[in-house]
Amino acid sequence: MATEGPGQVSGKPDGEWLRVHPASPFIRGWVALAAIGYFFGRDTFERLLQGRPLMDDMFAGRVPFLVAGGGLVLLLSVLGFIMTWYFTRYQVAEGYVRVNTGFLFKQQRQARLDRVQAIDIVQPLLARVFGLAELKFEVADAGESAVRLAYLRIDDARQLRATILARAAGLEPDPERPEAALPEAPEFPVLAVPPSRLVGSLLLSEQSFFVVLGAVASVVLSTITDNRSFYFYLIPAVLGLAAAYWGSFNKGYNFTAAISPDGIRLRYGLLDTQAQTLPPGRIQALKVTQPPLWRIFGWYRMQVNVAGYGGPGSNGEAASRTTILPVGVLADVMRMLSLVLPDPGTADPARVFGAGLTGLAPAGAASGAETPAGVSSGGAPDGGFVTSPRRVRLLAPLGWRRNGFAATDTALLIRSGRLWRELVVVPHQRTQSMALHQGPLARRFRVADLVLHTTAGPVSPRVIQAGLDEARALFDAQAARAREARKRQTSEQWLAQVAPEATADRHTPDHPQNHEEGPQHG
Amino acid sequence: MRTEAIDPPGISWLRVSPKYVTVRLVEWAVGNLIAVGLLSLPIVFTLAGWWVWLPLWLAITVPAVMLLLAVWRLLLIPRQVRAIGYAERDDDLLIRSGIFFQRTLVVPYGRMQYVDIGVGPVERALGLCTLKLHTASAGTNAEIPGLPADEGARLREQLSARGAARLAGL
Repeated sequence: MATEGPGQVSGKPDGEWLRVHPASPFIRGWVALAAIGYFFGRDTFERLLQGRPLMDDMFAGRVPFLVAGGGLVLLLSVLGFIMTWYFTRYQVAEGYVRVNTGFLFKQQRQARLDRVQAIDIVQPLLARVFGLAELKFEVADAGESAVRLAYLRIDDARQLRATILARAAGLEPDPERPEAALPEAPEFPVLAVPPSRLVGSLLLSEQSFFVVLGAVASVVLSTITDNRSFYFYLIPAVLGLAAAYWGSFNKGYNFTAAISPDGIRLRYGLLDTQAQTLPPGRIQALKVTQPPLWRIFGWYRMQVNVAGYGGPGSNGEAASRTTILPVGVLADVMRMLSLVLPDPGTADPARVFGAGLTGLAPAGAASGAETPAGVSSGGAPDGGFVTSPRRVRLLAPLGWRRNGFAATDTALLIRSGRLWRELVVVPHQRTQSMALHQGPLARRFRVADLVLHTTAGPVSPRVIQAGLDEARALFDAQAARAREARKRQTSEQWLAQVAPEATADRHTPDHPQNHEEGPQHG
Repeated sequence: MRTEAIDPPGISWLRVSPKYVTVRLVEWAVGNLIAVGLLSLPIVFTLAGWWVWLPLWLAITVPAVMLLLAVWRLLLIPRQVRAIGYAERDDDLLIRSGIFFQRTLVVPYGRMQYVDIGVGPVERALGLCTLKLHTASAGTNAEIPGLPADEGARLREQLSARGAARLAGL
């Protein structure tokens, strides 16, 4: 059993307990091993180079003890590694993935497959060298974060991902041939971000703006004060910035997106590579932003909230995982939008979403008089967006023509920001709860903010300073729309929801599918 | 002050127990009196001559301002408690609160993951409880404080039953 290794994941019948790759603890603990090696090795090496004796005289008599002690430590850690490996086992059965770890304090984690929110294959550099990968999936079950399996052989990881996704989609294994490996869903490339554009986007980012500002300030300061010494204090800052740029470059390099029946596939990374899969309907909210300098080239960035991916910016990992497009032109944005929201719910998505990205209400129009909330586009100007009433131009002199919302049949679009343009899209069936907020100043101007609550992430949808009547109408209409959308969404298993033609290329025709859904145009 | 509210029209709000004012008063006393007391210590020190660096007017002004703010907050408490309301609709629960900074929250029953009831020491003495709803979003800060214990229990059962009937995924 132990000699079988981790392979043949779905080649085994259900319920088989499997182990991760034997080398995994060493790959995880390589930093510690390398540190020990470096610590002892460097000293010995230096002594050899200098022609000194290998040991000081005072230690010379105790060499056997030292060697024995060191050997014992090494042996114990290797034994510990082997024990952790031996007692880490996983199983895919009965709609659950179970992972057992620990030999003194045993821990079993189990994750319901139909609650899988996202699944990643991560390859740190060293694991990549050895052809191994970590499988990590987020489950919205008990608020616990990711379940991790590290490390599997890359093929096994892919196979296991296919199995988990197929089960999560509601595809049962063929009862006649349970050994048959489930095929990986075919995927079609959608877009790629060329490295030149990535570099350009980094150079034109907000960060760079402040770098230039800081540089100018220090040069000016140094000429005024005639003092060069404080450049030394800038060294840590420069190093930190270089690390930040490198991090963004390393994460965003070679970014590609593809679509498969299992969801959106994202791949990126220079040294450490990562392949994310976001199953359909798992994206809770989406944000398209454009910093001022990116306007020169018409670039946009897209970020999403996915349950389990966690908060904004807390660490680099969360930031890169929630980014579904680090930098892209308008066509890329529209393509990604069509993947995330296959049914835009409007007859003219290009115009409505285009207005959301760059639109501005006509200066003269009193938009409060327009038909309020809930009218999906039609022939309305400005893509059907309802913006702040003219009376708030004192509160938001720049933003009042821009801040607004529009509702299609499937999603609510919230746009804001004149300089830092932003468009937030929340599918109706993903709305958790809503709140209207109004402070004293807003009451004077008869406006209110509407906040939509979604899972933790970089996107926090908020309709800013909508007219009171519009906000109240939206509050009611949105509650009704969310209710309707939730009724239509019956199952967590997405094969039961998505249109049959989208999955036909993958699954056998005898698979039971519900056809109660209306046609969707993908 | 009863200007146009942000609530949807035509809703009969259920109010929380007036006894909740007492809970808020105790909380207010614990927080503000200690703060004002601590800030008043420099007056004693200055008058006693231990501290000479601090001008007396400053030693008096700071706690006085704090006291003024505290009294202001004290006067607001009864109205704030009266402003808390909730309403059960067919498909969602509405919660409103606040007088200056108003908030009206709607939580669909199908989105509720679990319902908490918390009872603090003062609340227990008065037979009150605090009901808290949790959805998948941390931003849903849905709390109804100052419910009578039996009303809290009734609401919890009601909400759980309705939630189970309408449960949706994420």
